Amino acid sequence: MSDNTRGVFSLIIINKAGGLIYQREFQAGLRKLSTNDYLVLAGTFHGVHAITRSITPKIPIAQPTPSPATGTTGPAAPGYSYPNPGVPVSGLDYLETDKFRLTCFQTLTGTKFLLFTDPLTGSVEGIIQKIYELYADYVMKNPFYQIEMPVRCEAFDRHLGAWLRGRT
Amino acid sequence: MVVYSFYIFDRHAECIYKRRWLPRPTSIVGKSRSNTVSDAAPTGLGQTVRSTDDDSKLVFGTVFSLRNMVRKLGGEDDNFVSFTTSQYKLHYYETPTNTKFVMLTDLKSPSMRIALQQIYINLFVEYVVKNPLSPTEHPGGVGVNNELFEESLEQFVVRAF
Repeated sequence: MSDNTRGVFSLIIINKAGGLIYQREFQAGLRKLSTNDYLVLAGTFHGVHAITRSITPKIPIAQPTPSPATGTTGPAAPGYSYPNPGVPVSGLDYLETDKFRLTCFQTLTGTKFLLFTDPLTGSVEGIIQKIYELYADYVMKNPFYQIEMPVRCEAFDRHLGAWLRGRT
Repeated sequence: MVVYSFYIFDRHAECIYKRRWLPRPTSIVGKSRSNTVSDAAPTGLGQTVRSTDDDSKLVFGTVFSLRNMVRKLGGEDDNFVSFTTSQYKLHYYETPTNTKFVMLTDLKSPSMRIALQQIYINLFVEYVVKNPLSPTEHPGGVGVNNELFEESLEQFVVRAF
């Protein structure tokens, strides 16, 4: 029994419009919600994720020469930089609470994978990458899957469950 | 580690105190106490300019939604401690009376739960709650922005980091 398998509570996939397209519980540990509540949660998280990106602190950059007393239009370069220049500004990545840890992974196309794990679970990044891989293989490559619609792919369910159970 | 900003919200969802520590550009030496810099910063990409006031509302909306989400999933006694993005970390502490303390720091900071608790116990209770001249509620931040509290907060942040 490894810590990794014990730690994963549930997975939620949110499409780029904020709609819930997949929800599955692997282990008890979190409260059960109704389907409606999960939909609300997905929508709320989608919004919060966008806000967390926009409240990123902006650090003013030293302007070599203050612009001569016009002050009307903004300079070509914005007058601030972000705390971690070079790293793209992201929304919420990890959320820690007393009882669980939420990891959010956003793909380049805006789909969000939310993984709820035990706070002590290690290598969540690896788990989420693998889930993304499985999603790409068994959902996106499924010719009958309609994009942005709820995921109902048996092969995805099966492989996901088997992989999570089989992790040693 | 760097502290970017600090907010207190009361139980009526009102921001009763906010404070920013914007790291000054290296060429300018001095105390970075003003929050005018971000107010004036024009944004290039068609975004409207946001003031600190709007920022505090966004921060409140975020922590409020996340807190409710966490309580729904983890149970009533669960509490959200912090979240991390690629650029900053937000720490959250809520007192039993629903006063919310929020602090934005850089990514390298450890858990600030204890620190926020200390700010509540040693500064907020001592200098704001126990102040006979301060009102029970703090509409518009009245009573919180007293000298003792601000000075001690400044010292606390500077000393701790």
